[in-house]
Amino acid sequence: MTQVLGRLRRQSIIPINLLITVGVILLILVLFPLLAGPFQTNFMAKLLLFGVLAVSLDLVWGFTGILSFAHGVFFTLGGYAMAYYLKLNLSASANTYGGTLPDFMVWNGLKELPWFIAPLQIFPIAMAAMVLVPAGFAYIIGWFIFRSKVSGVYITIITLAISSALTTFFVSQQAYTGGTNGITDVSKLSLFGLEIPFLGLYYIILAFTVFVMATAWWLTQSNFGLILRSIKENEKRISYLGYDVASYKIFIWTLSAGIAGIAGGLFVPLNRFISPVYLAVAFGTQVVIWVAVGGRGTLLGPFIAAILLGQVQNYADRVTQDWQLFVGVLLLVVVLFLPDGLMGLVPKKFRLSDATRLMGIVGTNPTSGFVQPRLFDWYTPLRSLVTTLTGFVSSGLRSPRPTQDEADRMLVGKPNANSVRRKL
Amino acid sequence: MEVISSVETFNGSKVASPVETVLSVRQVKVVFSGFQALKGVDLDVGDREIVTIIGPNGAGKSTLLDAIVGKSPVASGHVYYHGKEITNKSPYEIARMGIGRKFQNPNVYNDLTVFENLLLALKGSHGIMSSIRAKLTQAKKEKIKDVLDRVGLVDKAFTKVSSLSHGQKQWVEIGMVLAQDPTVVLLDEPTAGMTPDETHMTGEIIKSISKTHSVVVIEHDMEFVKQIAQRIVVLHQGAKLTEGTVSEVQSNPEVIEVYLGRERIDAAA
Repeated sequence: MTQVLGRLRRQSIIPINLLITVGVILLILVLFPLLAGPFQTNFMAKLLLFGVLAVSLDLVWGFTGILSFAHGVFFTLGGYAMAYYLKLNLSASANTYGGTLPDFMVWNGLKELPWFIAPLQIFPIAMAAMVLVPAGFAYIIGWFIFRSKVSGVYITIITLAISSALTTFFVSQQAYTGGTNGITDVSKLSLFGLEIPFLGLYYIILAFTVFVMATAWWLTQSNFGLILRSIKENEKRISYLGYDVASYKIFIWTLSAGIAGIAGGLFVPLNRFISPVYLAVAFGTQVVIWVAVGGRGTLLGPFIAAILLGQVQNYADRVTQDWQLFVGVLLLVVVLFLPDGLMGLVPKKFRLSDATRLMGIVGTNPTSGFVQPRLFDWYTPLRSLVTTLTGFVSSGLRSPRPTQDEADRMLVGKPNANSVRRKL
Repeated sequence: MEVISSVETFNGSKVASPVETVLSVRQVKVVFSGFQALKGVDLDVGDREIVTIIGPNGAGKSTLLDAIVGKSPVASGHVYYHGKEITNKSPYEIARMGIGRKFQNPNVYNDLTVFENLLLALKGSHGIMSSIRAKLTQAKKEKIKDVLDRVGLVDKAFTKVSSLSHGQKQWVEIGMVLAQDPTVVLLDEPTAGMTPDETHMTGEIIKSISKTHSVVVIEHDMEFVKQIAQRIVVLHQGAKLTEGTVSEVQSNPEVIEVYLGRERIDAAA
C-alpha cells in the first residue's frame, strides 16, 4: 500500500509541469497581436482555428480510433452557414449588383432568395446553423455507420466518399453555393450593430480555442475519456462490460463535427470567403496530417502541429512551390519512426493526455485514503532541482546525477524514508 | 418469481437444479456458414453453483458461452436468464442484466492500468452523460480495492497491464468480471498459460467467487477441474455428452472414449 501511495505522490507533480507549458503557450498567444503585425495576427487566428479543427479530429481519431477525412467537410459546412449570413447582410452599396441578392445568385439568374437560404439572414439562426448543420449531418452519417457496425478502414472510405461527393455537389449547384468560387466578398462580422474590430475577432477566436481545449481535456480525463480509449483499443470487449459502443461513437463523432463547424464559421470572417476547396479530400487530408504529425490522442500535439505546419507553409511558399513534398516526407518519417507523432519526443510529463489520465485517478478525490493526491507539489521538483545542482557542485561535474540516496543525504542528512521504503 | 417457475416447467433436463435456476439454455443451435457448432445444447446453472464445462477441442465450449452473451447468433433454441428470454440480445444489454464473461485469451486493456481496467468494468450506469459526470467515489475505490484484494493485485493497481505477466493478465480479467458484479460469471479457460501455483490460486479465487455468484468455467486441466468442480458438463461435437460429478464423469465409458481416453493415450505416448 505504501508503495502505491508513494508512486502516486511522485506522479502527482505532473500537472504543474503541464500547467507551466500550457501557461506559456497561452501567454504567447495572448500577447501575439502586440508582438506581430496585423497580417501575422490574422494568419495566427486562422491557424488557431485549424488547431481546433485538428483537436476535433483528435477526439475521434486519436482517442476513439475512427480515422476521418471528412472533418474538412464539417468545418466547411459551418463556414458556409456563416458565409451566407455575412453575404446576406452586405449593404446594398457594397454588393456588386446592389440590392440584397448575393452576386453569384444574380449572375446565375436567380430572381429571389431561395427559401432554405433566407433564414440565414438572421443572426441567431445562422449561429445555430453553424453548429447544427455539421453536427446534424454528422449525426445522420454516424447513426448509419456506427449502428450498422461498419468499422475500421471502411469508415475512412465512407468519409472520403462523403468529402468527394459534397465537393462535386457544391460545385455543381452554382446558383445556390457560388460553385467553385464559393461565397466571396462577405461583409465583416458585426455584433449588436457594432462591427467587430480585427483584434476583437482574434480574441474571440482565442477564447473559443481555450474553451475547446479545456472541454476536450475535461472530456478525455473523465470516465467518458477512459471509455473512448477502450473503444479504440478493443471495442468488442467493452460491449461485454455493458457499454453501448455505437452510442458513444455517435456522440463523440457528432460533438467533434459541431466543434469543427464552429471553427469553420469563425474562419469565414477572417478569410473573407469560403469555397469547396475546404470540402475537398486534400483539405481533409491536411487535418489528418496535423493530427498524425502532432501525435494522436495528445490534444496539444495536433493543435501545435497545425500551427507550426501552417507557419512553415507560409514561409516555404515564398521559397518554393514544392514545400508540400517536405510535408510529405515529414509525414512519412512520423508514420515510420514516430507512432506517437512529434509529441512522442516530448517527455511524458509535458503531455496533456498522460497527465489527464493520471489526473483522472489522482485528481478527482482528494480525501481518499486509497489515493492521496498532491496536485501542486512544489516541493518535489524543487528538491530534485536543488539535488541535481548540489550534485553537480559537490562532485565537480564528475557525476551529473546523484542517486536518490545520495541526494536525500545531501539534502536532509539522512536517507529519505520514502526511498528506503521503495527499496524494501 | 412466477416467471422462474414457468421455466422450471419448461425444464426437461435430467439433472434437477440444486437451488434455483439462474441461467438456462434450451436446445441452442449455433451455425457457422453451414457448420453446426452447437447442435441443440441444454444447460442449467443454479444459484451460487459452479458448473464446469469440459470437452475436446472443437466441442463447442466457447461457442456455448458466445451464444449466452450474444456474441454468436443463436440459430434456434432459447437462453433464459432469471426466466427472461435473452436470446440474441446485444452483448451490452446482456452484460447490463448481470452476465459477465472472461474470454479465452486475456481480453484486457493493455494500454490502461489495472485500476483503470477495473474502473471501466465497475457495475453502474453505462450512459454517456453519467460517464462524463462520473466521480471516483469512495465506494468505487473500495469496490476496486476489494476486487484487487481478491485477485491479489493490490500492488499492481497503477501498473499498465501491458507490463504484467500472462497469468496476472488473466487475473485482471477475472477482476474485471468481479468488478462488473454479475449474477452469472462465465470464465473461458481462466488458467490458460498459468504456472501450477497460479492455477491453484485461481481455483481458490473461483471457489470464493462461487459463494456469491453462479460460475460457469471452461477448463482443460483435470487437476484444476477436480479442485473446483461441483457439477461437470461434457460437450462433444456440439452436443452434450453427459453431466455429473467428477467421479461420475471420469467413470463414464463414453467420456473416456472421446476425451479422457484420448488424453490417456496421449499421456502414454
